[in-house]
Amino acid sequence: MIDDVKELWRFRELLWAMVERELRIRYKNSLLGFFWSLINPLMTVLVMTVVFKFFLQNQTENYAPYVLSAYLPFLFFNMAVMDSSQSVLAALPIVKKVYFPREILPISSVLANFIHYLLALVVFFFYLFFLWAITGFQITPFTWRIAFLPVLLLTSLALTLGFAFFVSSLNVFYEDVKYVLGVLLYLAFFMTPIMYFSENVYYAAKRHGQEWLYTLYHLNPVAELATTYKKTLVPPGEIAIGAEKVDPLAQNWGLFGITVLVSFATLVAGYSLFNKLKWRFMERP
Amino acid sequence: MSLAIEISDLHKEFILSHSGVGSLKTLALWWKKKSYEKLQVLKGINLNVENGECVAIVGRNGAGKSTLLSLIARVYKPTSGKLVVHGRLAPLLELGAGFHPDLSGQENILFNGMILGLTRKEVLERTPQIVEFAELEQHIDAPVRTYSSGMLARLGFSVAVHVDADILIVDEVLAVGDFSFEQKCYRRIEEFRSQGGTILFVSHNASAVRRVADRCVWLDNGQIADEGDPEAVLKSYESAGS
Repeated sequence: MIDDVKELWRFRELLWAMVERELRIRYKNSLLGFFWSLINPLMTVLVMTVVFKFFLQNQTENYAPYVLSAYLPFLFFNMAVMDSSQSVLAALPIVKKVYFPREILPISSVLANFIHYLLALVVFFFYLFFLWAITGFQITPFTWRIAFLPVLLLTSLALTLGFAFFVSSLNVFYEDVKYVLGVLLYLAFFMTPIMYFSENVYYAAKRHGQEWLYTLYHLNPVAELATTYKKTLVPPGEIAIGAEKVDPLAQNWGLFGITVLVSFATLVAGYSLFNKLKWRFMERP
Repeated sequence: MSLAIEISDLHKEFILSHSGVGSLKTLALWWKKKSYEKLQVLKGINLNVENGECVAIVGRNGAGKSTLLSLIARVYKPTSGKLVVHGRLAPLLELGAGFHPDLSGQENILFNGMILGLTRKEVLERTPQIVEFAELEQHIDAPVRTYSSGMLARLGFSVAVHVDADILIVDEVLAVGDFSFEQKCYRRIEEFRSQGGTILFVSHNASAVRRVADRCVWLDNGQIADEGDPEAVLKSYESAGS
């Protein structure tokens, strides 16, 4: 595996060229390419806000930025894993002819999406700033917690790369992996505190006297990442649970530690599976 | 002379799957029947290619010609045996393999050149020559999807011969482009050889083999049936076929 990483490093220039190519393709056919791709998260958040604030009459403060802070990373995970699942299969004609480290294919899909996510985060910060200004500087969006963002980003990247290695190599042999993946990612959206809060999960579990459910829920690294993103990016306000308002729970560092471990373990496991399968890509049945 | 390619006792076997597991469904349905069969494609190849040599490989379909080229290009791993390649190797890509339809000719040159082992700087330096050789000055900024198949072939060939590889691998592609471009390709190949380049190619075109090859290898059923002077090998190959 060390040798594979060294070989990959030798080809780093090709990797960057590939990332650049993916971004070019994505933004090629329209000048506003990047802004078009922001429409999905913005519309989603708009709809969720309407549903929550008006239909369900939830009184939580800062609802929209909260949702966005978890939905953007989820979208990165979702898009990167979906894109990379096709990456090897789509490049098969060239893989058949030329040697280059095959892991460049899924990695470049993930990195292109990661760069896209970072750009979206910049837009998100502008939005927070705007919100700060129109609320008369009452909520302070930039707290010391933001210093933790690099760790969060790195963990998300490791987890996503790990998944990308799994699905891109398995999808070569079992083409229905991408359909299964579509269903799982759809379910993951609901099992992740994006449009609701980890506090909803906690109080629901507590009502039934089963607090361990909250821990179980956050053993899912995607859910724990979403919770931590919310607590890192948006200053905690009061959260409405039913009719009453509660203070947000403190960040649970133990659970986040587990997520870091799981993420990097996924990366290592995914990469070694990929390396095991990569010489057989050409010989798929 | 020094060797460009050393091959000794090279074996390659593929797993032939009768169930054609290509989905989880078939895996679930067929998991009990291990209907795998091993297919020996190359059964002990010994071949040395010297620097500056042009070697043609002939043989029937399924004889293992393309597999041999792919092994040399490091696309497959050998099952057993020794395979050493000295120097940089460039495969001539099939019609636009690796071209992205939405990107311009220019952008595709960059990417293809890099995949063939050049650095970004080297590709950018060579781009004008590549474009000129492919006769695509007018179209180079247009997306590749607007190109005709002849234009794609020209661009692909042009990139491959400009990467300054030591060894060129050609798998039956010279039959593309019009007559004058074909002549240009042959001239370019002559030039490449006069500079000491090594060529390995597969062809079903006997006249092309006679024209450019120094040596001819007849591959039959995964083994070398005959090798040597092109004229003699072609004769025995053709008489065996009929």
